[in-house]
Amino acid sequence: MKTRRIEKVTQPGTPHFVGDGFRVHNFIPGTSTMKRMDPFIMLDYNSKYHFPATDRPKGVGVHPHRGFETVTIAYKGRVEHGDSAGGGGIIGEGDVQWMTAASGVLHKEFHETEWSKTGGEFQMVQLWVNLPAKDKMSPPKYQAIANADITKVALPNGDGEVEVIAGSYKDTKGAASTFSPINMYNVKLKKDAKTELTFPKHYTTALLMVEGDATINGETSVPQDHFAMFSNDAETFTVEALNDTVILVLSGEPLNEPIAAHGPFVMNTQEELIEAFQDFNTGKFGYLED
Amino acid sequence: MMLPNFKKHLIEKGGLSEEEFTQIEPFITTKNVDKGEFILKQGDVCSHFFFVEQGLLRFYALNEDGKENILQFATENWIVSDRGSVYFKAPSTYYIDAFEATTVVMIDETFIDQVSELNPNFRKQNERLLQNHIRQLYKRISQLLGVSAKTRYLDFVAMYPDIMLRVPQWMIASYLGITPESLSRVRKALAEENFNPYKTS
Repeated sequence: MKTRRIEKVTQPGTPHFVGDGFRVHNFIPGTSTMKRMDPFIMLDYNSKYHFPATDRPKGVGVHPHRGFETVTIAYKGRVEHGDSAGGGGIIGEGDVQWMTAASGVLHKEFHETEWSKTGGEFQMVQLWVNLPAKDKMSPPKYQAIANADITKVALPNGDGEVEVIAGSYKDTKGAASTFSPINMYNVKLKKDAKTELTFPKHYTTALLMVEGDATINGETSVPQDHFAMFSNDAETFTVEALNDTVILVLSGEPLNEPIAAHGPFVMNTQEELIEAFQDFNTGKFGYLED
Repeated sequence: MMLPNFKKHLIEKGGLSEEEFTQIEPFITTKNVDKGEFILKQGDVCSHFFFVEQGLLRFYALNEDGKENILQFATENWIVSDRGSVYFKAPSTYYIDAFEATTVVMIDETFIDQVSELNPNFRKQNERLLQNHIRQLYKRISQLLGVSAKTRYLDFVAMYPDIMLRVPQWMIASYLGITPESLSRVRKALAEENFNPYKTS
């Protein structure tokens, strides 16, 4: 059987701050492009970072989004979120927040007040998933997915487990509903365990080493905090854990639609971008207190 | 250095041909201004018009309490200057600083003379820009004197579509001559009027 080869392994670049609460390495578009990573249009990774105790929670103030979904996956630390469509909540270790901005919301995200008081280790992924043109102006939606509600599939021989956040793994369906075919897993492999993952050849497929190090297809090593992008030459690849690992695996069908992006708006045409700015300025994204 | 915005400005607003732009290109002076850096301070004599190729400048006065009163924002393609200081060679009472790292094209009398010599039409176009600027200033004064905060805000965002994402609200309130609380009220009222998250059209 042909194996899906790795196209590129990216090391974490110089981090930058989003607001004052997220110290991130950008992997998508990173050294690639939105088009190549379609339908994944942005991935910021806050590798483990210690935030000191504070009475004033750090984070990002009110800002708009339109045309896509923001997915926040918490590995360490706690984040509080609120949006102008009434969505909101707190996510902690292992939880996922899936916000469909679609036609537009204002939102803000901060370290949880209680967590901020003690501070601690913080590790998170924020991913933007593009929406098909026909769904970009659909109503906003919010899915709070607690870790307890994420289906876990045990791997044979006690090798670990696969948390199915979205899509399906073998016959098990993921917790999140999506607008286009997307698979998103946390693959937790024990030291020396090996497993195979299979996705349709044309799906854009990548992984992020959240914890530990692995060897892909028996030849390419992907160390902790590195991002690996797969080619589209075959369906299956193998992952071998060199120590206890947590791997975020993404695989989605490309939308193959034009992308017009400016800051927090990702649409299909320039005209739609201009409309997004007008709508944002005239209150069509709602209101949210700072 | 590539200056796509300034090139477009000289061709579309200044009436230059591509060829004339190429001839004038060696005489263009630019300056990179760091965030927070001043290009004009009270007491200086201003000798340039500043065209924003990329970035964001603020033009403001300090009031008696030391608070900033913002007269103008200049984002890409805007020209900002203390024109009075330039023309009368008099010390400025204003400040211009960069709120984002900014690339400015430094336009002085010599440059305007050079371009006008190349294409006499340019001086006329420049005059037109000045007259338009004066028209905008009249409008701004009359709005400050007698138009609702909501109308002022809507006119403002139509003129600066992306500014809400680039500067804090208190600066916008300062430009509009209202308190940050009033600006919040205006935006909240607009949202109540216009936000319908569950529309399906």
